[in-house]
Amino acid sequence: MDMITLAETLTQYFFVVLSAPLYAGILAKLKGMVESRQGPSIFQPYYDLWKLFRKVTIIPAGSGVFFKYIPYVIFGIYSLIALIIPVLVPVPIYFTASGDFLSGAILFSLAAFLKTAAAMNSGSNYVALGVSRSMSFNFLSEGTLITVFIAVSLLTATNNPYTTNAFLVSHSLENLSLAHIFSTLAFFMLFFYETGKIPLESPGVQELGMIDEGLNYEYSGKLLAINRWSSYIKQYLLGSVLLNVFLLPWGLFSSSPYFLLDIPVMIAKWVLLILIVLVVETTLAKLRLFRVLDYLATAFTFSILFLIFAEVIP
Amino acid sequence: MNSVDTVVYLISSLIAISAFYIQGQEFIVSMIRGQSVQSVLIAVVAFIIGWQERSYDFFILGALIIVLRAFLVNYFLQKRIPKEKVYLYERKVSLSYLFLLDLIFIVISVFIIYSIAFSGIVLHSFLGNSGNSAVLVFPLTLFFQGLFLIASRRTTFTQIIGYVEEENSLVLFAMFLLPIPIIIEASVFLDVLALVVISSIVVLEKFTHEPVEELRG
Amino acid sequence: MILGQLLAVLIILIPGAAGILYRTGIKQASIIGGSVDLAIAGIMYFIRPQVGFFFIQNSTMVFIVMVLAVYLLSTVYSTRYLKGVEVMGISEPTYYLLLNLFTVSMLFSLEVNNYGLMWVGIEATTISSALLLITEKTETSLEATWRYIVIVSAGVTFAFISIILIYYILGTLSVSAAIASHVHSRIMVLAVSLALIGFGTKVGVFPVHTWLPDAHSEAPSPVSAMFSGVLLPTALYVLYRVYEIEPVRDLYVWFAVLSIVAASIFLGYQVRYKRMFAYSTMENMNLALLGIAAGGPLGITGALLLLLSHSFGKAGAFYSSGNVLRFTGKKKIAEISGMGTSMPYTSASLLMSSLAVTGAPPFGTFFGEFLILADILSLHMYAQFIIVIISLAAAFISMNYNVTGMIFSGNQPNVERDRLMPALSVLSAILPLFIGIFYLVVYIEIL
Repeated sequence: MDMITLAETLTQYFFVVLSAPLYAGILAKLKGMVESRQGPSIFQPYYDLWKLFRKVTIIPAGSGVFFKYIPYVIFGIYSLIALIIPVLVPVPIYFTASGDFLSGAILFSLAAFLKTAAAMNSGSNYVALGVSRSMSFNFLSEGTLITVFIAVSLLTATNNPYTTNAFLVSHSLENLSLAHIFSTLAFFMLFFYETGKIPLESPGVQELGMIDEGLNYEYSGKLLAINRWSSYIKQYLLGSVLLNVFLLPWGLFSSSPYFLLDIPVMIAKWVLLILIVLVVETTLAKLRLFRVLDYLATAFTFSILFLIFAEVIP
Repeated sequence: MNSVDTVVYLISSLIAISAFYIQGQEFIVSMIRGQSVQSVLIAVVAFIIGWQERSYDFFILGALIIVLRAFLVNYFLQKRIPKEKVYLYERKVSLSYLFLLDLIFIVISVFIIYSIAFSGIVLHSFLGNSGNSAVLVFPLTLFFQGLFLIASRRTTFTQIIGYVEEENSLVLFAMFLLPIPIIIEASVFLDVLALVVISSIVVLEKFTHEPVEELRG
Repeated sequence: MILGQLLAVLIILIPGAAGILYRTGIKQASIIGGSVDLAIAGIMYFIRPQVGFFFIQNSTMVFIVMVLAVYLLSTVYSTRYLKGVEVMGISEPTYYLLLNLFTVSMLFSLEVNNYGLMWVGIEATTISSALLLITEKTETSLEATWRYIVIVSAGVTFAFISIILIYYILGTLSVSAAIASHVHSRIMVLAVSLALIGFGTKVGVFPVHTWLPDAHSEAPSPVSAMFSGVLLPTALYVLYRVYEIEPVRDLYVWFAVLSIVAASIFLGYQVRYKRMFAYSTMENMNLALLGIAAGGPLGITGALLLLLSHSFGKAGAFYSSGNVLRFTGKKKIAEISGMGTSMPYTSASLLMSSLAVTGAPPFGTFFGEFLILADILSLHMYAQFIIVIISLAAAFISMNYNVTGMIFSGNQPNVERDRLMPALSVLSAILPLFIGIFYLVVYIEIL
């Protein structure tokens, strides 16, 4: 039994960390195909990371210790989250008991905060601008993240994401309950913001559109690679929570040899999510920067309102 | 929770969302259309309740809503939109700020009022089977949302729509609680229509409303 | 008894029927119709319709007579007043048509025996009277019209919630049945409290009164007179009918007291005389609400007496303001001086009506206020009593100070060109005096 749990834990951890860049690659490839280009290889994120790891890391003159070490801490935080929420195996594994849904949300917030703090520590004016921009949006997105996680836990009156997942699988009609539908909607909107997708942020070189990328301005070499990798893991974690708890709770295996089947199932689910993202990214235009606030306010309104509806309506 | 209940809850929440959609719009045309959609949704709720309760009153009510609210109010308002470009939308609306304010307002007013006063009400219709009156939250939300729309905006159109929204919420409220006799409901509809027509006359003369020195204190 | 029903229907229909002569002579038709209607109301006092579609008690009769009398006075006054309006927002026949419909909707809401239809009637008064406000078309009057429409209609929707709740509890909307039933529940308390916000918007209860001074000050004077004299009492009557089901006394009393205090404070710093009178209306309406909320026979009688004499007194005040505006063209208190010599009749009516609406002793309003306050004292509401007394005194002083300032300061050449308008204002201002003396005589006779 213990060996199985250990195997599950290791599988989940290494799957999350190693496959995380893949989805960004798939999205880029598919996007290229939609735009009648050949598109980069789906392994391009791995090549990029490898390239960055080998490059020289330049530390800005005015920067402090935060700037140098925080990327590792953030990577560690995301690794921890990967072990406490059901992102691959739908049964509890080692470390699951170390936190619940809410602690997951708070760890996300902690990572975001540390990232900003580290960016501020670089001592560059451009980064300061980027930080103020991302902070002016984050106050809404963090709030939404926490309320959404609370809202979904109300269904089962517990903060345990595994219970919620199991409950939703066994009670299909509950997937139509108001609290669930609208927290899904709010979380879906949030997913686009947190992962820098197109109606809100166009990642790339043009600084007019960047929100989260602005924090990476002064990073280079190994530190940049770690930051990128953390972002990929974050995207995977948020997307998997969206898939496993909100959108498609079904299809995961928990008994001992079959949990390995979860890997193809998760990849299939992710392809589905990527297709949805692809449709959104290629049909919508990017919002003006100040409209991002409206977008997040809408998501926040949804989450709060239906949190309370969920409290009132049984 | 059975499936018809769920459908009614879902449509009601769509009605609540349509109210938020209207609150978030700047263009007058889309606000007017949003109101139409909202009325149609209310009519759909009326049809569902009528079908469940085997009561023809609800069907008449639904038909009246569609004809009077969704079409005629829409028609009279759209006809009055000035053609000049400056009048097509309302300026200086800071949506995120309004949304958050709106949220606070709705949460405080609706849920406090609901939990103090309405939670003890027992519904006569099939919606009350589970022994609670939670569905009344939706009309209350719509009501206060309409009130907030009137308070937060400055153009005549928006305020008319806020008023119509309030009246919509009353129809929904009466449907969930206990339907008012159809003859009275119909005269209420006509009253509202007349008020919309009358106030759309004011639209031609005065498009926005700002504080006036002579009308202070 | 069928005759009674017929009379009740006729009373409602006659002002509306004058609209048939829209093209030829709606002005004359309205005056004749108003007089006939008043006569019919006199007959109906003796031949009542049975309780069915209509529900008419003695108190209702007071309101009906009040509406018709002020309507008649206003129509006659309008014939002259409208001649001086520079930019008309609506044509003259339309003005009379709307005035008639306005009266019809008020009479309708007074007579019907159904809360739902009462609400419809109150909403119809808003619809029919809204455009009357832009008779004298200015930017300000348009804004006032809009505030009137939006605030009142948005507020009155609250009242519909309470009507739905009443129907939910009692299963009927009939006023007579509802009053007879003695159902007490928490939800009924809620319904009656919501009615205070809803119909209270139209009555001018404190936090939701804001449309009142705007509409009163920007409407043409005959319409202001109808607003203040009869529209608000009509709304108060409906509120009274709801209140009778389940008296939520403390809430109503405190809101009335609060409104009286607010009105007397606002009244103190007004610079325009019509606005000042508007706040005085608010004060008087809330006094009547206080009487109704107190609920004893003294309070109800006092409220009726107050409303009746106030309606004429305030009509006189607004007609006098109309005269001042017409003859001088000035709207501010400070701009007007020497009225005593420049407009002798108008100044007489202005002084009398201002004394009447602030409750000076020989006028009917004084006895009304006296009875209401006596009832309040009999309920041991001493704090409320003291607050109200102080506010009344403050209102009395500030209003009469302003009015006497307008009249007894300096000499001006006579500008009173018209005879009918001052005559009407004097007539309206004297009526409360008669009501007061009549009441005193009756009271002494009974004792």
